Amino acid sequence: MNDRIIFEDVSKFYGEILGVNRVNLSIPPGITSLVGPNGSGKTTLMNLMTGLVRPTRGRIQVLDYSIDDPKNLFRIVGYSTQFDAFPKGLTGFQFVYSYLRLAGRDSQSAEQLAWRAIERVNLLDAAKRNVAGYSKGMRQRIRLAQALSHDPRVLVLDEPLNGLDPLARSEMIALFRSTAAQGCYVIISSHILHEVDVISDQVILLSNGYVVAEGKIHNVRSEIQEHPTQILIRCDQPRELAAKMLEYPHTIEVSIHKDERGLLLKTRDADRFYLAMNEIALRGIDIESVAPADDDVLSVYEYLIGSEEVVR
Amino acid sequence: MKRIWWAQIKAVIRLEMKKTFFAKRGLWIYVLAAMPVMLFIAYAIVSSHQQSRSTNIARQGERQLSYQDFRAVHSGMTTEEVVAALGKPSASFDWSENRPSPAKPGVILNVLHEDYHYSDGQNDLFVGIVEGKVQNIHIHHANNLGQDSIMFAGVFQFFFLRLAVFFGCLGIFMNLFRGEILDRSLHFYFLAPVRREVVMAGKFLAGLLATCTIFGTSAVLQTIALLWHFPPSARDVYLYHNHGLEHAAIYLGVTVLACVGYGAFFLVAGMMFKNPILPAAAILIWEGINPFLPAVLRHFSVIYYLKSLCPVDIPSPPGTPPIFALLVSNADPVAPPIAIVGVLVVALIALYVSSLQVRRLEINYTTE
Repeated sequence: MNDRIIFEDVSKFYGEILGVNRVNLSIPPGITSLVGPNGSGKTTLMNLMTGLVRPTRGRIQVLDYSIDDPKNLFRIVGYSTQFDAFPKGLTGFQFVYSYLRLAGRDSQSAEQLAWRAIERVNLLDAAKRNVAGYSKGMRQRIRLAQALSHDPRVLVLDEPLNGLDPLARSEMIALFRSTAAQGCYVIISSHILHEVDVISDQVILLSNGYVVAEGKIHNVRSEIQEHPTQILIRCDQPRELAAKMLEYPHTIEVSIHKDERGLLLKTRDADRFYLAMNEIALRGIDIESVAPADDDVLSVYEYLIGSEEVVR
Repeated sequence: MKRIWWAQIKAVIRLEMKKTFFAKRGLWIYVLAAMPVMLFIAYAIVSSHQQSRSTNIARQGERQLSYQDFRAVHSGMTTEEVVAALGKPSASFDWSENRPSPAKPGVILNVLHEDYHYSDGQNDLFVGIVEGKVQNIHIHHANNLGQDSIMFAGVFQFFFLRLAVFFGCLGIFMNLFRGEILDRSLHFYFLAPVRREVVMAGKFLAGLLATCTIFGTSAVLQTIALLWHFPPSARDVYLYHNHGLEHAAIYLGVTVLACVGYGAFFLVAGMMFKNPILPAAAILIWEGINPFLPAVLRHFSVIYYLKSLCPVDIPSPPGTPPIFALLVSNADPVAPPIAIVGVLVVALIALYVSSLQVRRLEINYTTE
């Protein structure tokens, strides 16, 4: 029994245009974010794992199911796409209800599940209105309701926070978290890095169709050797501390914070730095806090992909 | 398993109904289906008008005439002889013509023309008299259901089947997948836990329901319009004693089979081609040249089987070149059961290709 979403040497070409190339992934439960600039292959990766497009090469397996078996695959997968088109003439409720009927549910159960899903995305008031009259955020939420309606174990969400107001965003993030907390796989693509940082258990960084890095943010960061780790230290004697830290060979650069109550240190070996900090603390310098300053998605993204198109 | 497939097919049909029946861009299909109905209604109105005029002329005539009385008139008779035989005409028209004399050059003759119109209440006799002598005779026979059924067969085979049903099926079945790819909404079906072949079957049945309803209704209305202006007794004789009802049922059946055959063709074409004009033109040409194809190739056509099923043969007008006569008559008809099975086999082959195609279909709207 397989409990991962697996990509084995997967490539996808649209004619001569590269979608993704030589992707090897093993995605565990929790919230996984796909991060990358436009055209990096995020949507292609999502379309591949839901069988909407077929790999030119390689193999994809979603838990125990092949992507060639939509009948069984979509019993465990819900996909909220970026395609902003709906079957014509349907209300929000009919959209979700029709999807469940299509899945083979009887009328009563489809109605029950549709209302529950619409309630989860907080769209009850507009459920009887035609989708064509919905705002962008409402269309986003009704697509999410459709994806959630049959309680899938794998939830694939392409830019799910686009078009949502701040309140709706926080509601949706809470929804993703609660879904992931139940042991589900929530795969999210996003441009908005600070949100990715807040919600993700792991990230997959993509650039020009290639997976640049994957895993937990901290692990990814620690593997980036060419960029020294930045650490913010708050203390009452920053200058003394800076002088002591510069004695260690792994310290590259130290700068005193503007408020004179801390310093920003760059080290090429974070583990040895923390050992050094223990020694210094014993020598009487009162250290308030030590926190990594670039152990987040934003920094990792900037180091690996560049600062272009980063949305903070 | 079959129960869930059927439930899913019904769900697809429910979603497709609105689109196939009430799409604004499908309005022309209704116009196409209504055209032969309008033609027969117009024909019925004109025929009724002619009929009532003939009845009036017969009533106003000096004596009650029969068709045999008309046969007594021949060229060369004098005006008096015509009046003696048929009585004074209830409708006549005279006019004069200035004509140069053939015998005396430079002399202009004033020639008197008279047109007499008689009627026996059904058929009309037109007698052209020049200078007191009958010069031409024309009998306009009343419409009869025998002739009209041949006309109906002609309209059915050459307009209704080959153009109206053909293009109607093109409009509906091509759009089942292609239309949704263009609207960027096909993924809705592909994200559901349903076999793609089941989605295809549901869409095909929805298209079939729409085309059969639209064109089946048209075929029934055409028959009603054809019979409408005949007296009830003539209608009863035609329907119940001269196979009229049987013919109407066969035309309806042929319409349904045409929708099945062309529908299956256009379903697969809609998945394989981005531009519907090319496959439509190819299929239209293939169906058009069917009579000229070798016997083996002729079997891979829908119209070949449909023509064999049509209940009324259309006689070629005398003097028609053999190559054109082939278009009119079916030189090598097959037995009805073979024809029905033939259409169904052609449709099943097309549906099988569709099912392979739908499994491979990718959602990649940007390249469309």
